[in-house]
Amino acid sequence: MIQLEGVSFSYAAQGPTVQNISFHIGKGEFAAILGANGAGKTTTVKLIDGLILPTAGRVLLNGKDTRETRVSQRARQVGFLFQNPDRQICKNTVREEILFGLKTVRGEEGDEALNARADAILADFGFSGDEEPYALSRGQRQRVALASILAVEPEVLILDEPTTGLDYRECCHIMDRIRRMNEEQGVTVVMVCHDMEVVLDYARRALVMAGGELKADGPVREIFRDRAVMEAGAILPPQMIDLSLRLGAGFEQADTPEAMARAVRDRRESRQ
Amino acid sequence: MRELFQYVPGDSLIHRLNPITKLLLTVAICAAAFVTDSLIFLVLLLLIDLLIGFVAGVPKKTLSILKGLLKIAAFLFLLQALLTRRGQPVFWIVTDQGLLTAGKVVLRLMVVCMPLTLVLAVTRISDLANALVQVLHVPYKYAFTLTTTIRFIPQFLEEMGDIMEAQTARGVEFDKARGVKKLGMILPLCAPLLISSVRRADSTAVAAEARGFHLRTAQSGYKRYPFRMIDGIAALLCVLLIVFAAII
Repeated sequence: MIQLEGVSFSYAAQGPTVQNISFHIGKGEFAAILGANGAGKTTTVKLIDGLILPTAGRVLLNGKDTRETRVSQRARQVGFLFQNPDRQICKNTVREEILFGLKTVRGEEGDEALNARADAILADFGFSGDEEPYALSRGQRQRVALASILAVEPEVLILDEPTTGLDYRECCHIMDRIRRMNEEQGVTVVMVCHDMEVVLDYARRALVMAGGELKADGPVREIFRDRAVMEAGAILPPQMIDLSLRLGAGFEQADTPEAMARAVRDRRESRQ
Repeated sequence: MRELFQYVPGDSLIHRLNPITKLLLTVAICAAAFVTDSLIFLVLLLLIDLLIGFVAGVPKKTLSILKGLLKIAAFLFLLQALLTRRGQPVFWIVTDQGLLTAGKVVLRLMVVCMPLTLVLAVTRISDLANALVQVLHVPYKYAFTLTTTIRFIPQFLEEMGDIMEAQTARGVEFDKARGVKKLGMILPLCAPLLISSVRRADSTAVAAEARGFHLRTAQSGYKRYPFRMIDGIAALLCVLLIVFAAII
């Protein structure tokens, strides 16, 4: 589905932002790209969508080099949720905003079908459609941006720090909706995220970047348990995993409150 | 385009000039361009612009500005040459007077546009604001407004680029359209840009208030901007430039 082969990229007048990275993300995967600020995460997801083109190597989307097609042509295939929803919103009502994306990408379906799609997504996200996007809170604007992308039903969903500035409730709303799409419709999700609790709860695979290089790639729980990788990526593991690592033997798998309670109970019983 | 207004650090002669002298230099070149009616003098002023850029150590930026201006100049030249009816025909409907007027118009445009951009490239915005307050006694409120406006230009350009990138990812064909069609696609995006600009201005105002904006006086800046010999020579050259422009 997504294939990066020896990809490097550098912005003008700067050193390389991404250096010789290669990985493959298959259909239906939920991958998180982790790393400190300036590690090259956003550059990597922009490379995936072809918003920027590699200076070396190649990026393949469904086997097709991103150099061969335009970004706008891929909009039906790839949905990109930017960190700042205000860059994306350009219409006066939520309904118009959702219809704008639909008409751009699925215009051939006709007004009736598009209105039906818009109605379904509005109901799903709990909007009446008449709300003015700019009068909504940041979290709600982020939901409008996400709704307009999901309405198009892309095969790949790229999320650049989707939970930044959101309260826990809004964060769960958005992430639960994304997980449903991933699990029920097989949508491939690639997410850049600084919130390790969110990554642990939702992603199944983690790619750790540092200094523009890919330092580690594997299942989320394995990555979080690797102290060396965490240090290389300047990442702190989620609290529960950190606690289980500190507690040591007997707590290796205690990465949820329930598992931790079970491990503590087992430890007590073994002492008695 | 985004890099056009960014400060380029350095220790050149132009960098070391007092910010007010640099402004004076800009005003003098602009004034000379409007006072003179000589094509040769306008060419000379353009060469002075280029010289400033090269002495300031920003030759790439200078040539990039010139390149950008040449595109507008070519369009203006054509328009002016075709619309002027005075003088002897040279070919088709173009007259010698038309060519001369067109030449002066485009040279004047280039001469006037270059110095301010170059001066901003070699002057820290904060130095400009402080010098305006300390030397010219401009109220800080107005100096801050001026410098904030200048500072926001590259940010707006960047913001517009980001908005266009986001819309392209949604399927809007910014990566295909050219010319008037692209302009038509950009216009609806002015609304999000305006809204984000107002938000940015509002948050800047709140941040400034929180940091005691109204407590600031002319003496609040720790840096001083004395006039040195080099500034005196530059000021004298500015006066001479305007006098020559008036005479020639």
